Amino acid sequence: MNVVVILWPPLIAAALAVIPSRRRWWQPGVTLLSCLLVLVLTVRLAWRIAAGASVTAGLGPGWSNWVMVDGLSALILLLIALVATTAAIFSVGYMEHGERTPRRLRLYYANYNLFVFSMLAIPLLAEPTLVWIVVELTTLCSALLVSFENTHEALEAAWKYVVLSLMGAGFALFGFLLLFAAMHAGGAGPYTWTGLIAAAPTMPPLVAQTAFLVILIGLGTKVGLVPMHTWLPDAHSQAPSPVCALLSGIETTTILYVILRLMPVMQGIPGAHAATWALVLGLTSVGTAALLLLQVTDYKRLFAFSTVEHMGIILTAVGLGTSASYGAMQQIVTHSVTKSFCFFAAGATLLAVGTRQIGSVRGLIRRAPAAGAALLLAGLAITGAPPLAVFLSEFAILRAGLLQRQYLATGLLALFIVIAFFGVMLHVNRMVFGTAAGAEAAEDPPEETAGPFRLPFSCALALLLAAIPVIVLGVYIPAPLDELLKQAAAALSR
Amino acid sequence: MMATTTMQPLLENLNALAAGLFLLTAFGMVAMRQARACLHLFIAQSLLLAASAALLALRFHSAHLFGVALVNVITKPVIVPWLLRRTAPAEIYTRREIDQVLNVPTALAIALALAIGAYFLGIPLVQALPPEYRGPNVPIGIAGLFLGAFTLTVRREALPLLLGLLAMENGAFLAGISVARDLPVLVELAIATDGLIIVFIVGVLVRAVAQHAGTTAVGELASLKEAAAEAEAK
Amino acid sequence: MSARIGFNLLQVLVVLACAPLVAGVTSRLKEIVQSKRGPSIFQPYRDLWKLFHKDEIVSRDSSWIFRFTPYIVFVAPLFVALLIPVLTSYPLFFAFMGDMLGGGFVLALAGFFATLAAVDSANPYGPMGASRTRMVGFLAEPVFMIVFFTVSFVAGSTIPYIVQQKWVTPLANFFAPSHVLLVLAFILLILAEGGRIPVDNPSGHFELAMIDESKSLEYSGRGFALMKWGGQMKFFVLLCIFLNVLVTPWGLAAQQTLGAVLLAIPLVLLKILCFVLLLVVIESSLAKLRLFRIVEFLGAAFITSVAAMIAQVFAA
Repeated sequence: MNVVVILWPPLIAAALAVIPSRRRWWQPGVTLLSCLLVLVLTVRLAWRIAAGASVTAGLGPGWSNWVMVDGLSALILLLIALVATTAAIFSVGYMEHGERTPRRLRLYYANYNLFVFSMLAIPLLAEPTLVWIVVELTTLCSALLVSFENTHEALEAAWKYVVLSLMGAGFALFGFLLLFAAMHAGGAGPYTWTGLIAAAPTMPPLVAQTAFLVILIGLGTKVGLVPMHTWLPDAHSQAPSPVCALLSGIETTTILYVILRLMPVMQGIPGAHAATWALVLGLTSVGTAALLLLQVTDYKRLFAFSTVEHMGIILTAVGLGTSASYGAMQQIVTHSVTKSFCFFAAGATLLAVGTRQIGSVRGLIRRAPAAGAALLLAGLAITGAPPLAVFLSEFAILRAGLLQRQYLATGLLALFIVIAFFGVMLHVNRMVFGTAAGAEAAEDPPEETAGPFRLPFSCALALLLAAIPVIVLGVYIPAPLDELLKQAAAALSR
Repeated sequence: MMATTTMQPLLENLNALAAGLFLLTAFGMVAMRQARACLHLFIAQSLLLAASAALLALRFHSAHLFGVALVNVITKPVIVPWLLRRTAPAEIYTRREIDQVLNVPTALAIALALAIGAYFLGIPLVQALPPEYRGPNVPIGIAGLFLGAFTLTVRREALPLLLGLLAMENGAFLAGISVARDLPVLVELAIATDGLIIVFIVGVLVRAVAQHAGTTAVGELASLKEAAAEAEAK
Repeated sequence: MSARIGFNLLQVLVVLACAPLVAGVTSRLKEIVQSKRGPSIFQPYRDLWKLFHKDEIVSRDSSWIFRFTPYIVFVAPLFVALLIPVLTSYPLFFAFMGDMLGGGFVLALAGFFATLAAVDSANPYGPMGASRTRMVGFLAEPVFMIVFFTVSFVAGSTIPYIVQQKWVTPLANFFAPSHVLLVLAFILLILAEGGRIPVDNPSGHFELAMIDESKSLEYSGRGFALMKWGGQMKFFVLLCIFLNVLVTPWGLAAQQTLGAVLLAIPLVLLKILCFVLLLVVIESSLAKLRLFRIVEFLGAAFITSVAAMIAQVFAA
């Protein structure tokens, strides 16, 4: 099976979605079909990789310089497919809700499929400059999605997103070209991830270190690391909720994957201190996000800051050392499934109350029980309450940190996680259980509805589907997934 | 009259000249107040990049770099303005920044400091690489990168902002062609296509902003803050 | 030895005699470009002759500065002409008396006195023009400094003759980036210091817009002639510094014979003519800048010169 086949369904779906059609189900149906197809293909691929198949399975001889799939790639591919599918299901109901002209719907679904396509391409490619090109492509495909609501704020958010991401990508381009030069200066082999790992000892250290730092800062802008994160709360809150799920749940993780591919390369270069950089940057992100969480007034921004925090946690785990790599991989999985669930819950809440202000939402559990329960579960899940998924992965990371005797870093990490927990739960608690008396003090009185709000069926289905991994992964990790996580963790060290 | 061996210093000097003028255009893009003048400077910058690529190709007999030069000559001076005319509103060409974030001499002074900083960063890098990579491309490329990023922060009108983005890529490429010479032409083509998609998307966004907010000064959009978010979505 | 002193004095005579010619050629060419016939190229000589034979009127409220300044303005460029290569490419007798910075300071001395004299006369337009001249002057200073330091860095000396030998004589240097950028910066500087468009209109009559012309508003007769001649000589000296030291040594006498030196005179004048053509084209195609934009103009010159310095000093 040629892995490039995974890329075809979204492309075809994008082309098909542009075709004007009278049937309301054409674009969502085509998108859903392609996402399901991709899901099946990636699950099959992940299964085979976990069972020990070779990384270039099914490819011809010329391809190995361009395409490579190993444990880490398969994991990311699986997560992309999962989140894309649930987000597509959610989109069906979400897009029905507003007044959307058919032209806008075509734009949405076409961009959605292109966005999924570009994200899928990143773990597959082995040549770093091609990966850079596709990273830029993800920004460009999602720009129009972020500005979809066409309000003043959405346009501003999209503009900031595009400018900052492309600025970071410009720096990253320079970093990748420098890495190429470093590799060729040592006279080594093909410019692929594995080639770089092999060539690391022969690279001039200064050039390689500079390249790594530049790439870290450049791609870190897209990941949302502090202090380059300023676009993230805006973009990830102004976009429609299914798009937010894609952006926060899986796109930042995919870009982080690119940075993670460089870590084993840097371990072969003396004096690079890549782990220290990762640790410092990660802890800064977690801390800043946790503190900024406390003062948000918009619940989608709340979850967006939580994304920054979790990206920081993953990077910190990577920086803590090899024993924390498994925890980092686990955190990637749990964050993706949980964050997408969070944004589905936020989307359901938005459908129910019509405003994004935390101050205007009170007593959600009474007004829209499904949305309220989902929001409560989302808040608990994303901040790491047991027995949900994120708790297990954060616990694994903290334990590994203590075993490595990195007491200061682990202590800070635990402190920031606790601060974030309080921040998020404070807001969520007030929103879900708050009394009606608090609502009168808010500037925006809630809508008067006859009875409890009913979610569209597809939104409820998406919530349910997304909730399953959140709950299940909190108590049990299936053996193939565990094997995949181990392989992915192994890809982080030489 | 001149044998190939004596052409080497001339080619080196011409390449250095192209790089020096490249740096000048990067400064110009920070300072020029008229949007159309920025576009002309960007086209000049791309042509200088192509010239540098061609000169390096002559010097190192590399066919890849000729391809790079050709791609640059075709896409940036020709296709970028054409795409802009199709997607962005026509008024972005007539804009002139009247009230500026920083006045011109201050912006130029900061740009100068950035360029000198880029040289301090670039010289050790070049010295760490083997001798055939010597040349002004890397420091001036880094300077182009920094100056493009500075243009992004200091300008408000849509066209100079977009051109600052593309100028950053030009700078990264100027540095890259001297150190990453064997990059396949396929990759260069893909990067050029990428640049075109950037222009397209930004053009569409600017058009939407102009329709919505009535101005193309997209750099001025700054309403998304915690307090301001209170007022939206009523 | 005596030959060198003789050549030196010959240089001064050439500067004295040919400066009005250059001014005449410039104005005639500008008029031709504008499709007019223009005055004869020897008209400045006739003007000077006429002015020397006219009475001089001096304001009762002015001081010794007003009377003294025309002589300083006249003599300063002659001093600088002793120091720079005008006809020869080898150092002459007074060559080591002062370097380029010294020459710059001597010219600045003349400008300083001219400014004071403009303020001295209590004419309302005088101080206005004087303050504007000072503004242009102090903005142009850093450019001068950076240009001179860059070329001196390469040559290892600030004496113009040595700079000229080390800087431009190897022909491969012609396309060196620092060379091209310095030439660009210095052209902008000549436009500013010489009071040409786009900085100032040399043929304008509107006192409120004058920058450089206003310093000689109050003068008449002999004082006016000396100020005019001194201004023309200053421009000539600037051109000589630019063309002979910075651009190319073409046309300068290489042997120490009188014949070679005399041959150099028309060759150097030809070189100046080429540059005057370029100048006329620039002047005819640009519009005069508003006063506050002059800062940006000189800022651009500064940036160009610093870019040249970076390309030269840091790239080695």
